[in-house]
Amino acid sequence: MPTDTLTAVPRAGAGSGAPTRGAGLPVLPYLLIFLLACALPLAGDNYWTVIATRAAIYWVLVSGLNLIVGYGGQLAIGWVALLTLGAYTASVLAGGNVLPPVPPFAALAVAGACGGLFGLVVGLPALRLRTFYFAMATLGFATIVTQIALAWQDVTGGGIGLPGPALPAPFDSEVGLYYLCLAVAAACTLLSASVAASRFGRGLIAIRDAEVAAEACGISKARLLAAVFVFSGVFAGVAGGLFASLQTYITPEAFTFELSVLFFISILIGGRGSILGPLLGTLILTALPEFAAPLAAWSNFLYAAMLLVIVLTVPGGIAALLDFRGRRARDDDRRVLPDPSRLQRLLDRGESGRGIELQDVSLHFGGVKAIDGLDLAIAPGRIHGLIGPNGSGKTTTLNVISGYVTPQQGGVRQAGAPVPMGQPLACAGRGLARTFQTPRIVGDATVLQNVMMGGHVRAAGTFVESVFRLPRHRRDERALHQDAHDALAAVGLAGLAHLRADRLQHSELRFLEIARALMLHPAYLLLDEPAAGLSADEILRLGELVREISRRGTGVLLVEHHADLIFDICDHVTVLNLGRVLASGTPQEIRQHKEVVSAYLGA
Amino acid sequence: MHTSAHDDTPLLAVRGLHAGYGKIRILHGIDMAVRAGEIVALLGPNGAGKSTLMRALSGIIPRTGEVAFDGRLLRPGNPREAARAGLVHVIEGHRVFTQLSVLDNLMLAGYDLARAERGRRVEEALGYFPEIAEKRTDRAGALSGGQQQMLVVAQGLVKRPRLLILDEPSAGLSPVLVDRVLSVAARLREQGTAVVLVEQLVEKALALADRVYAMAQGGIVLQAPAGEPGLPQRLEAAYFGSQARAPLQS
Amino acid sequence: MFGSILSSGLAVGAIYALIGITYNTMYSTSRVMSFTAGQLGMLGGVLGSLFILKLGLPIFAGFLLTLAGCALVGFVTELVAVRPVLKSIEQHLYVLSTLALALMIQQVTAIQWGTEPQPFPRLFGIGSGVLDEKFWLPVAACAAVVLGLELLYRRTLVGRAFLAVAEDNFAARALGLPERHLRVFSYVLAGVIGGIAGFAAGELMLAFFANGPLLNFYGFVPVALGGLGNNRGAVLGGLALGVFQQLANFTVGGVFASIAVFVLFIVVLLAVPQGIFGSAAARRV
Repeated sequence: MPTDTLTAVPRAGAGSGAPTRGAGLPVLPYLLIFLLACALPLAGDNYWTVIATRAAIYWVLVSGLNLIVGYGGQLAIGWVALLTLGAYTASVLAGGNVLPPVPPFAALAVAGACGGLFGLVVGLPALRLRTFYFAMATLGFATIVTQIALAWQDVTGGGIGLPGPALPAPFDSEVGLYYLCLAVAAACTLLSASVAASRFGRGLIAIRDAEVAAEACGISKARLLAAVFVFSGVFAGVAGGLFASLQTYITPEAFTFELSVLFFISILIGGRGSILGPLLGTLILTALPEFAAPLAAWSNFLYAAMLLVIVLTVPGGIAALLDFRGRRARDDDRRVLPDPSRLQRLLDRGESGRGIELQDVSLHFGGVKAIDGLDLAIAPGRIHGLIGPNGSGKTTTLNVISGYVTPQQGGVRQAGAPVPMGQPLACAGRGLARTFQTPRIVGDATVLQNVMMGGHVRAAGTFVESVFRLPRHRRDERALHQDAHDALAAVGLAGLAHLRADRLQHSELRFLEIARALMLHPAYLLLDEPAAGLSADEILRLGELVREISRRGTGVLLVEHHADLIFDICDHVTVLNLGRVLASGTPQEIRQHKEVVSAYLGA
Repeated sequence: MHTSAHDDTPLLAVRGLHAGYGKIRILHGIDMAVRAGEIVALLGPNGAGKSTLMRALSGIIPRTGEVAFDGRLLRPGNPREAARAGLVHVIEGHRVFTQLSVLDNLMLAGYDLARAERGRRVEEALGYFPEIAEKRTDRAGALSGGQQQMLVVAQGLVKRPRLLILDEPSAGLSPVLVDRVLSVAARLREQGTAVVLVEQLVEKALALADRVYAMAQGGIVLQAPAGEPGLPQRLEAAYFGSQARAPLQS
Repeated sequence: MFGSILSSGLAVGAIYALIGITYNTMYSTSRVMSFTAGQLGMLGGVLGSLFILKLGLPIFAGFLLTLAGCALVGFVTELVAVRPVLKSIEQHLYVLSTLALALMIQQVTAIQWGTEPQPFPRLFGIGSGVLDEKFWLPVAACAAVVLGLELLYRRTLVGRAFLAVAEDNFAARALGLPERHLRVFSYVLAGVIGGIAGFAAGELMLAFFANGPLLNFYGFVPVALGGLGNNRGAVLGGLALGVFQQLANFTVGGVFASIAVFVLFIVVLLAVPQGIFGSAAARRV
């Protein structure tokens, strides 16, 4: 993520050794824009004030939609439906044609509440539908809302429309309304930026770009999206009410598909995972028809053409162009040097006892038996190696333990108690962390942000507390920062915290995944072929790191192809072949086991 | 068909090959050579990079380094060009097009040919595998695993290879069918076609091949004639790790 | 009245089915759901009216030129909005690139052709009332396209190559099939199918730029319900949707009909996200 949505950097003196740079810098662009905006009406011409009011209102909506589209990756193209809803709700209530007239600000508040409710309704299909399908569903919803506005003549005035809420003085003048909208826009910017900089913002980009890994970190897509859809819906509803006041008279024709697309394109031109980018995008797109007056009729065409160009050339948008820090030149001579002393604070669970036990687990996919009657135990503080030819069921076993697949038979126990199967989200809460065969990280975010995702479930603050930056949220952020810096130092990536993750080499990504796993203060660590693609040197360091992790009480399951790593560090080895346990014992015993050798060499 | 002027220049010469998937570098500087009419076995544990090497050779995945076929350098990332030159790769997993008939599957292998020539070559390929010749109108999805494996090899034969790469042809097959497929490789050798055989079944591979390469962790760790005494022990050491770096021999 | 519902329902349904087939044809070789499918249908009507009514060309010539125009749009879609983003790991980009292109097409049409629906020529003058040309023509077109695709897929090598690429694109590439040519060809074919759909629908839906988003959505519903890549499902889904929509229009009318269709769509999709005939998603981990 570009640096303008910097994770809230803790105050200096936290003793973490973390650099407290740049706390002031990202605020500057916003301050500049705000000051210019405040000064605008003084330029004299009210024409531009009206344009600016419109831009502010659009930004109120877009700042919320940005969290859904830019951060969450859900393509809610038909979001204009909520603007329509908010506008009509506020107008109907203030106009008093159904109920007695409601004071305009109360009407605005109700519009916001309705927006929140319907935001949830529009958004929930996102949990079941693929990208394109969800986009289509939101488009359908937008059409429906417009048609209802047209048809429900008694309430909405049908095609004729109805007057928008008339705000009391001083907001009934153009300048007065402008400052009101500017204030609301500024507030919305702060609130959405707070979410973006919190663990919820990081959680959103995790489910956007690394959904499987997000599950392993315990990030619940359903709960996160629900919260964000309600939050953004409220913004959209309020924007609708303000829009109705600006227009002074609304008809269904004011809420076109083109308007919806404009919101959407602003975010994408601005860049995902950014607040400043979409803000600039909204300002540019709102102002564009005014500057390109002869081309005004072509403005929609231009928006679309801009989107196409951005997608093909700079998919990261304006934000990517402005992200200088994240794009620093790579120093290809970097070496990963773990510092196990930093593990101390992270591995403090001290779980002892029976560990994780698999009992008679069997699983088949279609006709193929992936695992057949498997018994396995991971003891705290020990390293258990799991090896076997391709297709022997190693990764499947790991997936069973981490809840991604459900066995047809058998069960898993942790500390003696049975564990529910098939729930990957629950594993994080039980202190179970894992890495993946191919590193699953968010390329667009920094290394630090990626690591902090791992600690999502360790924070206690709620979504609302993050919106308003209440004390518990700040405590959470400080703790997560501290843990993340410790984890990065422990795995040897300390100097890379602010680099974009997609600039890392493959081997560094492997260690990054381990750092992310350490954020859970895991009682158990499941490693899926962590040595693949590593040089011999790096494999040695990996081995040392894993050994140190286990020495501090964490039980480790190591699935691997690299026989030397296995024999080097494991306390116990299980060999799988065709889903069954071929042999189980100490590395020395396995190395000399005749059947193991033939299984590898082919009988 | 044009034959190589010198019998000792290899049909396939690989120098300094590097390849991987995205950021993951799998192969580190591979050198190998295959002569016309010889069967070369490529052995090694899982994750060593055998299939990756084959894909890099035939151009399915991008690579750096030199691959020369019949004296001409092949452009990377171009499987069609490689096939046209005579380097044909039968990928692992007997991936047939299940919705199409056996005959259609073979016809597609001859997609670029004129119709008459295509028909001729399909019949020729079916001649190697009478078991599937009699099932030519059946849906490929209805064939057993072994028959599907025969079908993908037949697809390779439609292209009249000068060097045929067989990637794990024995996977999931019964021993009888494995022998059946490997016997076709022997027949090809008699006709002067070279074969590169990636195999898990070390004994069968050693019995068939003229020479052996062994891979581990993305590099070639062993090179020897197939009949060399003590080879199985050296292979075991190569598979199980730190003693893997056995000295190379030609 | 029942006859009226059935004939208009089948007609509209056939159009939706054809747009669904357009989606499927583009999807099969590229795994991309393109927003341009509905626009192709819209262009079939607009270009037909342009060539035959405005420029006075004979019907058959106008038809061929319309198809040529739509084929060109299909070609450009692949070149500009699909090929460049296929290489990228970011899957969402194709939604945006095809959306952008679809909007550009729509805006150009709105500006050059106008925002009011224009008449479409009467083609053959056969039939009236319930069996009027505007009702049977789309159904006939749908049948012809389905038949034509069957012949293509079963009898020609190119068609079988399409099926191969659609089933296992990696194996097809490894076998040496010309993946890129096939993809371009399938987009051109999709353009032609969309053009046929719009041309046959001209008398019913008129030459109207707003048909684009409308066909985009209602042409997508059969695909979503019938399963992605499944043409039979698209035909069944399209016809069912058309009849249901017309039934709702005649009974409850207007807004409620639209709401009924939309609610049905969402409910079915949430219950069976991969479509009634579709296949479940692959393993994720």
